[in-house]
Amino acid sequence: MHWKTRSRLTGWVLGTVTIGFLLFQWAPMFTMFTLSFAGETGGTTFPMNGVSLHWYRNLWEADLFDDFKPPMLRSFLLALACSATTVVLSVCAAQAMRGRFRGNGLYFYLLLLGLMAPGILVGFGFAILTRLLGIEGSWNTTAYVVHVSWALPFGFLTMLAVFNRFDPKLEEAALTLGATRVIAFRRITWPIILPGVIGTALFGFSLSYDEYARTLFTAGSDGTLPLAVMAQLDRQLTPELYAIGSVTTAMSLIVIALCSIGFWLRARALRGRPA
Amino acid sequence: MAAPPVIRQLDLELRNIRKRYGSFTAVDDVSLKVEPGQFVCLLGPSGCGKTTTLRCVAGLEEPDQGGILIGGREVTGDPPWKRDIAMMFQDFALFPHMSVARQVGFGLEMLKKPKAEIAKRVAEVLASFEITQLAERRPGQLSGGQKQRVALARAMITEPRILLLDEPIGALDYSLRETVMLELKSLQRRTGISFIWVTHDQNEAFSLGDLVVVMNHAKIEQQGPPQDILSRPRTPFVAGFIQGNNVFHGKAGRAQGGVLEVETPLGAFGVPLLDLATPAPGSPLSFSVRAERLIERPDESVPNRIALRCITVEYFGAFRRHVLEGAGGAVVKYDQFGALPQSIREGEQITLGWAAENGVLHRATPA
Repeated sequence: MHWKTRSRLTGWVLGTVTIGFLLFQWAPMFTMFTLSFAGETGGTTFPMNGVSLHWYRNLWEADLFDDFKPPMLRSFLLALACSATTVVLSVCAAQAMRGRFRGNGLYFYLLLLGLMAPGILVGFGFAILTRLLGIEGSWNTTAYVVHVSWALPFGFLTMLAVFNRFDPKLEEAALTLGATRVIAFRRITWPIILPGVIGTALFGFSLSYDEYARTLFTAGSDGTLPLAVMAQLDRQLTPELYAIGSVTTAMSLIVIALCSIGFWLRARALRGRPA
Repeated sequence: MAAPPVIRQLDLELRNIRKRYGSFTAVDDVSLKVEPGQFVCLLGPSGCGKTTTLRCVAGLEEPDQGGILIGGREVTGDPPWKRDIAMMFQDFALFPHMSVARQVGFGLEMLKKPKAEIAKRVAEVLASFEITQLAERRPGQLSGGQKQRVALARAMITEPRILLLDEPIGALDYSLRETVMLELKSLQRRTGISFIWVTHDQNEAFSLGDLVVVMNHAKIEQQGPPQDILSRPRTPFVAGFIQGNNVFHGKAGRAQGGVLEVETPLGAFGVPLLDLATPAPGSPLSFSVRAERLIERPDESVPNRIALRCITVEYFGAFRRHVLEGAGGAVVKYDQFGALPQSIREGEQITLGWAAENGVLHRATPA
């Protein structure tokens, strides 16, 4: 018998654990997805009563969905704004870290604090603070600030990883060829880090889009989609809610798929067509 | 009245530059003058400050003290894009997202030349570097040698006053290096652009450089034409760094007729003083003798003689190197012309000597 770098048994064990974990991760979503196709008399738990598109039709024909439209729009706009802000701030913050300034270690941990602080406390604390300052909370002011503070650490870490793989010699080469710092950033750095920037934007978007705990106290009277969904759960639970969940999840997956295809096309372009 | 002497403007002048990172001194009091069209090699072990010196010239590092003049103009505080230089990096630093033609034209684009002119000039340069067929490729599709050409074309297209090269052939296959070295040397001769070439490879430095600058521990140990450095190393570091030198440490004895007697653990030897001041008797000093200058079984007329035992013999084709051991474990190398029959066996006891004029006394190290 000849020697192998990894035994067959290890491969099987690790493979099983991985597949088990992925199933565990996707099972809840799959349950919801399945139940959203329940029949007209179907409930929100198994067993399913019949199979139909009834709840989706219901969604389409509004009544309940009309209640969801404004929060959905708000969530979408808020997520876009949060995503854009996160991109700008995390690129700047990660660029700053490249300079290794005095106190950069402290700066790093302070930025990551947003990851560790419990969301409900951040939201509540911020609400108290704004009240103290006499600022009225609303989804597009106070909630926006809190969302950015939540998404920023993720974006910052992503951009740090991106810059770690970025060769600063490329910028230096541009500078010695006569490019100013601004031009070197625009022509060299930016196109190369762009995939990471898009990743950061997606992070910013999805973290804001489904944020609940921090939004609860800071969004004011006009709530976002997660708040509306929670409120609806309190009132009445029908498979229609599952249909909403499935539709929004499907939209996210489509966006991610589009981005992945974009990355793949770009990577192919960078490698160039085989000569 | 006599006409004022024509002062040829130097391409580069470094005046006592110094660069520190925290408590680490990377470049210490380095001064250098580069004549127009000179090929300068900065040679030294890794971490000796040669690359930092080069980056100071490029403007990628700012020296803490001292001045940098390019073409007679003070540029010490200027950013890289305002200096009349170009730089070639060890791993070439090609822009991965740009085609070859695009990045070769980058320098001209930065000068805001019209598009048509850039296209014409890029085509010319690609043709002269024989890489026209690569114009539309991306760096990921190029071999090491092709990348090197593209990087060189990109740097040379604006015809800078000085080209800075940081170990430019270190990333190439060994078999390719010699060809590329010859090409670069002839390119430099043809264009008259000053090259400042950083390397740790002494073969590169001595075969290419008009001026070789040997650095160690952030300082310049010695600078001069290659022959000078090879035949007259001025410090024990330089003598030890360049291959084929035997370095002897000892104490100064009496000087007589321009020859200084040096006491070493291997015995007393006469070394010519040349232009050096007579050191105080007893002061520590060193000298070197090239391995091929030793004579086997010298007769009585040769004053400097050592009894040694041969440890190993290595055959390199062009020469045969003997490693010998003397009193107290001191090691001496002796190189013999390779075509001669082997005359010393391993384990054999032998006396070697050298003519007094072949000893090279080093500058006294400041204590």
